[in-house]
Amino acid sequence: MAMFASAGTIERLVNALAKLPGVGRKTAARLAFHILKMPQQEAVELAEVILEVKEKVGFCAVCNNISETDPCAVCTDPRRRRDVICVVEQAMDVAALEKAEGFVGLFHVLGGRLSPLDGIGPDDLKIKELLDRLRGEVSEIILATNPNVEGEATATYLARLLRPMGVKVTRIARGLPVGSDLEYADSVTLTRALEGRQEY
Amino acid sequence: MQVRSVTITSFRNFEALTQQFAPGVNVFFGANGSGKTNLLEAIYALCLGRSQRGVADTVLLRDGAEVYRLAGELTTDSRSTHVAVAYQKGGRRKITIDEVPVRPAELFERFCAVAAGPEDSAILSGAPSQRRLFLDLHLSQHSQTYLKELVAYQRALAQKNAALKGRMDASLFDDQLIDYGSAITLRRAAFVRELREASRPYYRDISQGEAFDMQYSPELETDPECDDIAIIKAAFVEQLERNRDREMYQKTAVVGPHRDDLAISIAGFPARTHGSQGQWRTAAVALKLAIYRMLTDKRRMAPLLVLDEIFAELDDYRTSALISGFSGFEQLFLTTAVEPPEPLRTNATRFKITAGRVERIG
Ligand SMILES: Nc1ncnc2c1ncn2[C@@H]1O[C@H](COP(=O)(O)OP(=O)(O)O)[C@@H](O)[C@H]1O
Ligand SMILES: [Mg+2]
Ligand SMILES: [Zn+2]
Repeated sequence: MAMFASAGTIERLVNALAKLPGVGRKTAARLAFHILKMPQQEAVELAEVILEVKEKVGFCAVCNNISETDPCAVCTDPRRRRDVICVVEQAMDVAALEKAEGFVGLFHVLGGRLSPLDGIGPDDLKIKELLDRLRGEVSEIILATNPNVEGEATATYLARLLRPMGVKVTRIARGLPVGSDLEYADSVTLTRALEGRQEY
Repeated sequence: MQVRSVTITSFRNFEALTQQFAPGVNVFFGANGSGKTNLLEAIYALCLGRSQRGVADTVLLRDGAEVYRLAGELTTDSRSTHVAVAYQKGGRRKITIDEVPVRPAELFERFCAVAAGPEDSAILSGAPSQRRLFLDLHLSQHSQTYLKELVAYQRALAQKNAALKGRMDASLFDDQLIDYGSAITLRRAAFVRELREASRPYYRDISQGEAFDMQYSPELETDPECDDIAIIKAAFVEQLERNRDREMYQKTAVVGPHRDDLAISIAGFPARTHGSQGQWRTAAVALKLAIYRMLTDKRRMAPLLVLDEIFAELDDYRTSALISGFSGFEQLFLTTAVEPPEPLRTNATRFKITAGRVERIG
């Protein structure tokens, strides 16, 4: 009978939740029991929105940002400068920079950073796609990878790759604390970092 | 600063106890295995949130218990604060200051302690990594920036080594190794100069004039007295270039401060190969007292001093020389397995430790 959800079902939910980043088994179990006690309507909404996000939200074929349309709203916005591309590690970084409202160019989301410790090399990032975009009217690439060890190494790699192609390459200024990640920086810091970018 | 009292619950071999302490010298004595070092550890962990031996909470938790708790009254500038450190099996250490939960780093910012013990002889007798660890621990206490640089350097080093092993472009990490590594080299050089000046008088006084010296020997081929970061960076760049093939071949980064050492000499000979146990002990205590003095200047606060079995292997002269210096400390704790030496029987507050029990005896 459905009323008596078997231990197996709860176990499956706990397992699924425990796969989320930052969620351990203890937290997963707490969340699972919370969901179990939720009003029916809330639980249905949660389940539906998860499905919906998977159906509707995909990646922009141009910049690799997450988007409900392809190309995304930034790539198709006629008010944005098309000659400046800001390269970031993740879609979350785009959101942070958009909130800061200091930047009017386009983005390119690499989908990660170089990390030999994790076996992540250049082929695992959207770098070929970035090179394809250079054929257009691009005059400046801003490297806005995170100011930590891996982000810096990724910026170094891209700078070495792009500079010989004649495009101006800049790196956001290190106004950010050492070792921190971009998404945690506040808007003011980010805007200032972008203003103070230097040729790389 | 001072620790006025502690209440210990299920920590090491202590089940439950509350004890007041005195300003000045507090002596714990008792048989081997009675809990003297454990009590020092409880006091140290109450101040800084972690063991001076650097062990995990699971080890500190009394056998069979689920939760340990350390609480007590700490004073700085005669302002009193209530601190509690608690750990539950499977959880994280929780720290409160005056009942308010705080980050672990807050204790580091508010309080300050220096510990010395038998394990410190390894600074003299051990491998270079022991001396780097000693430098890193104390430099980090002096400078947050150093700690950040060190963490970043070690991360970049680990990435470079992984790249060398995985046939990826290891040179991508060189710029950061150069930046952080040069800064680390510079800071270590300055720190060692200061430590040398501060420790030599202690060694001389404790040892009746024996010679003691210390030099930074950076792996980078620069003059240890050099304080120009540009010169250090240039040396780093040049050495990396020269060793590029060797690094590829050995699949390890061989250039940089992760291979630094300290050259320490006692009575004119290299300490590691020629020193005696007693000389190592003397040098270790002199270094820790120097650290104490440097921290006092830097933090404008007298740190807590925690000394574990420091008289072992010392002759009578060195023992009394050490003790005669104790009067200058706001508060210090020390342990001894034998009856405390004469001067400490009158000028100190003594506690007898017996199998996890503490009794004040004078
Ligand atoms: N987590 C623990 N639970 C119970 N007993 C412990 C724990 N850790 C250490 N001990 C006991 O504490 C004793 C060592 O105490 P210690 O303070 O090092 O002795 P000493 O007085 O010689 O310095 C040993 O007998 C050891 O078994
Ligand atoms: Mg002991
Ligand atoms: Zn797009």
